[in-house]
Amino acid sequence: MRPRQRFARDAAAALAVSVMLSLPAAAQPEPASGDALIVSSIGDASRLLPILATDSASGDIVGLLFNGLLKYNERLEIVGDLAESWTVSPDGLTITFVLRPNVRWHDGEPVTAEDVRFTYEKLIDPTVLTPYSSSYQLIDSVEVLDPLTVRVRYREPFAPALESWMMGIIPKHLLEQEDLNTTSFLRRPIGMGPYRFRRWKTGELIELIANPDYFEHRPFIDRYLYRVIPDQATSFLELLTGRVDLAGLSPLQYRRQTDTPYIRQSYRKFRYPSFGFTYVGYNLQDARFADRRVRQAFNLAIDKQALIDGVLFGLGAAATGPYPQESWAYDPSIQPPPPDREAARALLAEAGWSDHDGDGVLDRDGRPFQFTLITNQGNEVRRQVAELVQQQLAALGVDVRIRIIEWSSFVHEFIDKRRFEAVLLGWSLSRDPDLYDLFHSSKIREGEYNFVGYASPEVDRLLEDGRRVFDQKERQRIYRKVHQHLAEDAPYTFLFVPEALPILHARFRNVAATPIGITYNLIDWHVPPAEQRYRRLTPR
Amino acid sequence: MTGYLLRRLAGLVPVLLGITLISFSVMKLAPGEPTDASLQFNPKASLEARERMEKLLGLDQPLHRQYLRWLGRVARMDFDRSFRDGRLVTEHVLERLPVTVTINVAALFLVFGIAVPLGVFAAVRPGGAFDRLTTVLVFIGYSAPGFWLALLAIAWFGVTLHWFPVSGLHSIDAETMGLLRRGLDVAWHLILPVGVMTFVGLAGLSRYARSGMMEVLRQDYIRTARAKGLPERRVLFRHGLGNALLPIITILGLSLPDLIAGSVVMETVFSIPGMGRLFYDAVMARDQNVVMALVTIGALLTLLGNLLADLAYAYADPRIRVGSAR
Repeated sequence: MRPRQRFARDAAAALAVSVMLSLPAAAQPEPASGDALIVSSIGDASRLLPILATDSASGDIVGLLFNGLLKYNERLEIVGDLAESWTVSPDGLTITFVLRPNVRWHDGEPVTAEDVRFTYEKLIDPTVLTPYSSSYQLIDSVEVLDPLTVRVRYREPFAPALESWMMGIIPKHLLEQEDLNTTSFLRRPIGMGPYRFRRWKTGELIELIANPDYFEHRPFIDRYLYRVIPDQATSFLELLTGRVDLAGLSPLQYRRQTDTPYIRQSYRKFRYPSFGFTYVGYNLQDARFADRRVRQAFNLAIDKQALIDGVLFGLGAAATGPYPQESWAYDPSIQPPPPDREAARALLAEAGWSDHDGDGVLDRDGRPFQFTLITNQGNEVRRQVAELVQQQLAALGVDVRIRIIEWSSFVHEFIDKRRFEAVLLGWSLSRDPDLYDLFHSSKIREGEYNFVGYASPEVDRLLEDGRRVFDQKERQRIYRKVHQHLAEDAPYTFLFVPEALPILHARFRNVAATPIGITYNLIDWHVPPAEQRYRRLTPR
Repeated sequence: MTGYLLRRLAGLVPVLLGITLISFSVMKLAPGEPTDASLQFNPKASLEARERMEKLLGLDQPLHRQYLRWLGRVARMDFDRSFRDGRLVTEHVLERLPVTVTINVAALFLVFGIAVPLGVFAAVRPGGAFDRLTTVLVFIGYSAPGFWLALLAIAWFGVTLHWFPVSGLHSIDAETMGLLRRGLDVAWHLILPVGVMTFVGLAGLSRYARSGMMEVLRQDYIRTARAKGLPERRVLFRHGLGNALLPIITILGLSLPDLIAGSVVMETVFSIPGMGRLFYDAVMARDQNVVMALVTIGALLTLLGNLLADLAYAYADPRIRVGSAR
């Protein structure tokens, strides 16, 4: 309550001053600038260059230093970022971007179409250690038409291309002569984004400072400090002493440990669905799981809400398919089936599974229905979910064993080599609904991601079509069908979409949880002068 | 003596080679590649991109060739670059070394300064009140998990009392401070981690000191010293302590590699970017150049520490003079 009262007082004072000075009383005064935002991160960044950034810490920092041509707005629509406008040719083969004029690199040089072409060249350069090249393989040419116009030709239409142009653009004039894998630029990047790089103390802190020439406007928060705090318990204790402003909470922390007078007064908690889902995937080469009725029966028998309530303290949504409800590809007509053990039992009986010998475990041809559910070590939520799934399937008469395996062996020895019966995992996905890599029948080589071995001619065709069409209405129709097929075929049992749970100090204003998160409008956050904590750095 | 020294030094080479060979093989036998951490299960990173990266990093080469190439570089004191961020491994090590060495030297001094007197005094009257009290205390430090003690210390001294910062090495605005204040700022940040590490380290050493002293006090020469009427203080400190401290020399020598090996647990809980976290993160990321560099340095220091301890022992204890006998 206190911050709000203070805000009201400040507003009244500001109003009084402006009346006294008989200035034109602006209805919306410019928010005060100043103060610092201290963010807690589990890991440190590694390479501060958009095309090389693979870990989330590098991604966080790079996202504030560099802009792409396009971006998602808070309603998950694609809008221009560096691009003032863009057009897709009717055949979908050419995309032309017109850049905003007067965007400058932090060193004062203008951002031009040459930089865009340079970024593309480095993305497909086989000597550059970028993992992102595949999204650019279909490009035939990138032409600079004039300093602010760039035309990209594709060999075939590729709708996810728009998302791929959200990749941060990198400066040609600074990197042309450099070896991108080792250049000192990776430690002292120069971008064109809302914040400028200031310093990086490895394993400890990265500091950014507001870019006064940012093309939208100067961010109101002066400094952005990214503190590396590898232990979640420590991060929470730092929050309690006020030396961290923004951190992610676990469901337990969100529900229980933050329910104290101090936190309620000094912090604000937010929640929004993450773009991803947790699932049980079945090895479809296994004869038992190749039978769709078995998978459907499991989908009916597993009480997803019980998992959400039990493990996530209610902070998640039951999944019916691969998309969260916020995605335009999500088909709202598909409802999560109410858990129905009888219907599940009937389906299994139809598939030949029933308890012939009366030992409480279903059997067929004299063999009990028993399988091992594997998941990776180090993820407490998954371990608990596995136990609940085990318990719920036991009630159905299926004997589930759980095995928890260290991540690298899990991936290399079990997933890649398809040595598993069922697997409990999660995907976190991009906002584009393209699921080609996960469910297309061609993506089944060792190391590719259709490791359950799903093969459906209709879904294959839909996934191919969805990549070729740019029109969102049309794509929506296609991906909703994909959603329907996946819900019906149940190659995975889609369990839930967990929520992201950030906590932020209450002195920051103009903050809201949206489907894209809370920091999308960081440059508009501000702190009233009376509540500012950290003084402005003296200019160097 | 010089001949002995040279022979011992030459003997280190094959041992060191063996250690690196075994470490390299074990690391390669463990599933996973340095490219995993960032690329596994990232749908945007295609199989082709991953294969290309492995090739660029030389990971597609046969193992013996990878090892020989590594060995060739190390012979020229070049530990190559980290796979994770492309920086030189030596740069990483030099960046992390000062804080780890500072913490460990401080903790080592405190542990020796406190544990030896504790053990010695406990040994004078074994089973007495002082002995029992210190035994209970040091064993609490020994048995309680370090991370838990650290979190308790943070919660009490950092959050409740606000005496010390919760974690990290510097205050946010440390860079605007003068040199002296910045040093004090770091010291202030290090009090809790050093304190907890000292507490945890007390048990082992104080037990050594105690048993060493008890052993000595049973010896004939102590009885002789007492019998000839020396004051008790002189018996204890002149005849007892010197001899009781002999095993401590070995421990001190063995502590040499510990000086650069940070504690993963303490560094994680206190958010200190030291050698422990460097090693742990490198192992987790299969960043083999960093792992191998640290293993090699650690092995070298262990071997040198052993050698030093042997030499110091020979110097301090006339009964085990080496090489001069024949």
